[in-house]
Amino acid sequence: MPATSASLRRAQALLGTFVEIDVTDAHGHDAESAVEAAFAAVADVHRLMSFQDPDSELSRLNREGSCRAVTVHPWTYAVLKTALDMAQQSDGAFDIGVAGATPSRGGSPSETATAAAMELLPNDQVRFHHPAVKLDLSGIAKGFAVDRAIEILQSRGMVSGMVNAGGDLAAFGPDARMVDIRDPRFPDRILCRVDVSNEALASSARRFDPFRSLETADTAVLEPSTQLPAGGAHGATVRAPTCMVADALTKVVMVAGKQAAAPLARFQASAMFLAPNGDIHTTPDW
Amino acid sequence: MSDWLKWTAPAAAVMSIAAPAHAIQYMSVEEAQKAAFPGASFAEVQAGRVWKASNGGYLYYDHVVGKHLLIDYTVAIGPDGRVRRVDILNYRESYGGEVHDPSWLGQFVGKVSQNELRVHSDIRNISRATLSSTHLTEGVKKVLTYHASHFR
Repeated sequence: MPATSASLRRAQALLGTFVEIDVTDAHGHDAESAVEAAFAAVADVHRLMSFQDPDSELSRLNREGSCRAVTVHPWTYAVLKTALDMAQQSDGAFDIGVAGATPSRGGSPSETATAAAMELLPNDQVRFHHPAVKLDLSGIAKGFAVDRAIEILQSRGMVSGMVNAGGDLAAFGPDARMVDIRDPRFPDRILCRVDVSNEALASSARRFDPFRSLETADTAVLEPSTQLPAGGAHGATVRAPTCMVADALTKVVMVAGKQAAAPLARFQASAMFLAPNGDIHTTPDW
Repeated sequence: MSDWLKWTAPAAAVMSIAAPAHAIQYMSVEEAQKAAFPGASFAEVQAGRVWKASNGGYLYYDHVVGKHLLIDYTVAIGPDGRVRRVDILNYRESYGGEVHDPSWLGQFVGKVSQNELRVHSDIRNISRATLSSTHLTEGVKKVLTYHASHFR
């Protein structure tokens, strides 16, 4: 009796993590099919932008981008554009170039690694600046996928909904969702609880896997200048109008710590982070 | 930069509270059957574990259990032997050892219909470092191997 159900919550393994979608439907709308369509959009993003999958569009771009201009899907282009903007606004703290993207090579000294690595051409075309360039969108694509899923739920007439891709989440609708933020040092503990309403929230922290142990490993966020694990924060949580921006900004805060204030303001975002000494810092509007 | 507010370390430590066991039930086996093979009827091939659909497909119910994490899931395999879909039925995280309590494993199965699912009140959302879903992928591979050797 899907037509009479008030709410629905589903999970799928996508984007290398667990993606959870819940909705409350309006009368006359089919929540089941809306959730299916939202998962399908997330799977599309995965197929386009997975760094690990050799068949993804991103992998194709990484193979061919230095030989010629490559036409990419408008979604991939949009993510690359935001990544470039984010790299510039954060003075290079955000960086999608994982290899061969030597900053300022052939460019101005202030040019970020991302800008040095690639060029966005008209008509959704992308070209790399030198042969060794590889782009990794892991720091931003998950947030983009959440935004696409939210868009679909809204267009299908859902009254409220939430999409949570392994901690990068967004919610819409009249009721605020309560979200627990895990303590990055002790993943069996909750640092705080926030209300999320018509906005996105993303977290980044030391990695852990409750399947194997409670031990945390180093963060997956690398400092672009040193290629070492980010030292600006133990963990960071960002609220922003879109999940793509929130996702990317968590990496900026992890790398830049307090210096992230300017890019946060530029993207209308607020943040909380746990400093290496255990202090918690929040922006005034957190 | 003075535009950050700071809570110093002792206060920050006090804020951290123990995370109670975190359990979510998404679907029943029946719902997973319907989602995978709409309109089909199902015959149980192995009790509580494998069903054959009237269209020739199979549905496996399995779980992956780790130190603090349990995931019940179904794998739907089409008549062509390919994975049609994977659904997560139950997700449970716990740091008190309950995950390995045998009574846990069958606790939720087939109990809930979607009309009983309550989204806002008793189900929590967590933001955190990304959890890897590798172990589930490994589980699905094992199911496929089993299927290939038993039902094809």
